[in-house]
Amino acid sequence: MPFNAKSGKFSASINTVEIGCGDKKITIGGENVLPFYTFDAPVENAPKVGVEITDFGLENEPECIKKYYEGCETVVDMAKKAASFEGVDFLSFRMEGGDPNGANKSTDELIAMLKEIAAAVDIPLVVCGCKHVEKDAELLAKAAEAVEGKNAVILAAREENYKNVGAAAGLAYKQLVGAESSVDINLAKQLNVLLTQLGVDGKSILMNVGSASAGYGFEYVVSTMDRVKAAALSQGDTTLQMPIITPVASETWGVKEAVASEADMPEWGNQEERGIDMEVETAAAVLAAGSNAVILKHPESIKTISKMIKELM
Amino acid sequence: MALKGLDIFKLSPKKNCKECGCPTCMAFSMKVASGAMELSKCPYFSEDALASLSEATAPPMKTIKVGTGDAEMSLGGETVLFRHEKTFVSKTRYAVAVCDCMDDAAIEERLSGAAKVDYERIGERMYAEMIYVNHGEEAKTDYVELVKKAAAVEGRVLILGVKDAELAKAALAVCKDSKPILNGADASNYEAMNAVATEAGVVLGVSGKDANEIYDTVAALEKLGNKNLVIDCGTSSVKEAYAIAVQFRRAAIKDGDRTCGYPTIVNAAVLAHGDKHMQAALASLFTMKYGSIVVVEQMDYATALPLYGLRQNIFTDPQKPMKVEPGIYPINGGDENSICLTTVDFALTYFVVSGELERSGVPCNLIINDAGGLSVLTSWAAGKFSSSSIAKFFEEQDIAGKIKNRKLVLPGKVAVLKGDLEAKMPGWEIIVGPKEAVQLVKFLKDMQG
Amino acid sequence: MAKFVTIGERIHCISPVIRKAMEERDPAPILKRAKEQLDAGATYLDVNIGPAENDGEELMKWAVQLLQSEFDNVPLALDTANKKAIEAGISVYNRSKGKPIVNSADAGGRIENIDLAAANDAIVIALCSAEGIAADNDERMMHCQNMLERGLEHGMEAEDLWFDPLFLVVKGMQDKQMEVLEAIKMFSDMGLNSTGGLSNNSNGMPKHIRPIMDSALVAMAMMQGLTSAIVNPCDLRLMETIKSCDVFKNNTLYADSYLEI
Repeated sequence: MPFNAKSGKFSASINTVEIGCGDKKITIGGENVLPFYTFDAPVENAPKVGVEITDFGLENEPECIKKYYEGCETVVDMAKKAASFEGVDFLSFRMEGGDPNGANKSTDELIAMLKEIAAAVDIPLVVCGCKHVEKDAELLAKAAEAVEGKNAVILAAREENYKNVGAAAGLAYKQLVGAESSVDINLAKQLNVLLTQLGVDGKSILMNVGSASAGYGFEYVVSTMDRVKAAALSQGDTTLQMPIITPVASETWGVKEAVASEADMPEWGNQEERGIDMEVETAAAVLAAGSNAVILKHPESIKTISKMIKELM
Repeated sequence: MALKGLDIFKLSPKKNCKECGCPTCMAFSMKVASGAMELSKCPYFSEDALASLSEATAPPMKTIKVGTGDAEMSLGGETVLFRHEKTFVSKTRYAVAVCDCMDDAAIEERLSGAAKVDYERIGERMYAEMIYVNHGEEAKTDYVELVKKAAAVEGRVLILGVKDAELAKAALAVCKDSKPILNGADASNYEAMNAVATEAGVVLGVSGKDANEIYDTVAALEKLGNKNLVIDCGTSSVKEAYAIAVQFRRAAIKDGDRTCGYPTIVNAAVLAHGDKHMQAALASLFTMKYGSIVVVEQMDYATALPLYGLRQNIFTDPQKPMKVEPGIYPINGGDENSICLTTVDFALTYFVVSGELERSGVPCNLIINDAGGLSVLTSWAAGKFSSSSIAKFFEEQDIAGKIKNRKLVLPGKVAVLKGDLEAKMPGWEIIVGPKEAVQLVKFLKDMQG
Repeated sequence: MAKFVTIGERIHCISPVIRKAMEERDPAPILKRAKEQLDAGATYLDVNIGPAENDGEELMKWAVQLLQSEFDNVPLALDTANKKAIEAGISVYNRSKGKPIVNSADAGGRIENIDLAAANDAIVIALCSAEGIAADNDERMMHCQNMLERGLEHGMEAEDLWFDPLFLVVKGMQDKQMEVLEAIKMFSDMGLNSTGGLSNNSNGMPKHIRPIMDSALVAMAMMQGLTSAIVNPCDLRLMETIKSCDVFKNNTLYADSYLEI
């Protein structure tokens, strides 16, 4: 008697979303099975891998990242270089410096930089804010305008500012709206409902349902994603069928396993290796939990995860 | 797995004879399903029906024990597919790999490295619990000697990757008492390997060219009476290994196919030979999705730190908070003259706060209260993180005797405690800190400046 | 668990407007009622064409095609005593949004409707009665068993038989209400699906009372495991209760806007 594997194919599916434009545009979502369950039904669109740079350029980056950008003098140079790394599908530009509690760079300054980057690279763009909800309301609305026609992901609209960000990104400038909640599945759903009630097309929403580094309360991330996929696929809940995009680098490069120098922690060994493995293992885990796209930083991590995805497809 | 009345009804005689005392066979089936009546009250169930019903009430996935003494561990025994449904019971175990095809120096390096990673994280010992000893095609050294060397590494469970029954027998002769796994049965040799494994009393690993062949071999071994098995997900490709790990687990738990209900071995050391980062990625992937044992070439801290953290997260009880030990945690070389910050013993809070404090570079003492493993606001609301509990904790731990600095930073979310604390802890300057941990770096730097 | 299935009951030939529209093949009144029910959250629509002895086949085909072409292949329950009309309806039915429901079979003279459903891979509503209302739950379960066996024999999946305990009117049969609820629990314990004309309980009550009684009963019945009901979806209170119960039963995920979607 041969192995009689029952198919775990669902009648509902995740929305198919195109990001970017022209030859380099990418497509995510569309699957009607759990992550990489290609044995249940074909998965047409592989999860995608993005590379992250910030408005600080190389200023705050660890040495092991800097060496890959040798010769880059501006953030725009970095963007071009980043787009050429093996395995990169899209570029994520994070306007970290906008945070009023941090460098508090002006919206004009950041938008000018964003425009230059958008003009310099042809791969799809994800534009991230500074995580300060009031500033992001203004900054991301302007960003949506600045990259008009690029079909970029504006990351992200949150409960506090979804009206501004959603209206600018989803309605006025027809970008893709990233809806961000932090490991709260009811809020993830609610935010999608609110955005669609605002008039944003559900098919142009992506979700960031929250992220953490492996070991740092990561179980909440896993269970949130497991339950989002269960609701979307097995309950056919259309308000949760949006693909998931997960910023990984901004989490993993801040934890002590990646930050502590070899001098401080001699038994832990090489710091770069620790940074890469933290990023790689966290990314592999969020992909296994259902992310349709991940944002990473180290070229070696990007290469590895992109290869893992290919091998699983 | 609980049986539904319908499953029993389908096998019932459907005579409605009322001999059991119920008006219909359906009513009887329902009573049996709810446990109110014994199946034996009906004289008309066929033997086949009885056999398949008793099979259906057995646990969906077997618990397989390997190792002895302190190194004894359980694999499998899972009842759900997702951690939010119920706690996973047997965490993934990791093995480092050696092969008789390696030269002596390389073997030496691997085996001495096997014990290098060994630390504690939130009360759990983190180390590579197993050693995979492979018999390669072009052996450079004697396999049995290699097994002896590996067995000498203390407290590790061995997995013998060998398909030759005679050689397996010889290897088991030197290590069977420590209850290793003999990973060597396939469609061509399972009878001989079964005899060797059964005689030595060890778990037998089953591999095959695809899912069907593995399934058939497992079924054949079960027929021979051996249910002390693990399933090798194979080394042909990552895709195939993932398919087997997922499909076997799902068929066991969701569809009740007992032949699939065994723990799995995923050999990332072969699947991503020579690619350390890919092995790290695969170790993570298969910790998430259904690997009971993951084999990597070697375990260093870079791979281990995120991996063991991930495993600890995945295999925790969703209902129970993870706690860290209350006490004083000096950070960035903090000493008795350094500023104090206090918070709760919820593991996530501790990790996030200590991480931010480390990032600040400011020497300080993080004082973790006994707050029942709850987050700041939850424990405050539950009365476990109050001015009196903090004051009491400081007294019990003699914090004032151990630290000279009298500045204490309180989480911004419980700013309301400031006044009470000042009254209960005279001599301390109570400072209200930020509400979110991410603001700590700036807060501490501003305070210094 | 799957979401509670509401079957909208308002396309019924007992209504003079609908009866006239069916006679004259006038789409407008039928589409209007269909839209109202769908907007209010109905999953399935019941199409009752009455006995339709003369032109049943043609009428049912017309109604199925009319509704499915206008409303994205909305799934339908085909409701008539005319078996040929049901078969004709299924022959033009598009099942992309759900199998057709045969409404209905019983354990007496209409048991052959189970065979019809089996032959057409349809769902069937199975009334647990034969000649007249079942005297007690022993009898109800006997009917249930007979119909289940019949379905399984004809190759149906158990999940495609939706058992109807027959909801009874409170004014007159108040003392039998708990028995009906217990029958639902028995179906549920067996792993079987269930449905029924829930609003029958409030027949004869003042108009403003009925939504209150229907809502209370649907909550109690869902607690017992009822998986579907034939209802008036335009009853807002009832629909809100069903959505809320779906949240408690973990059939749908809560969000603050759950009543609006």
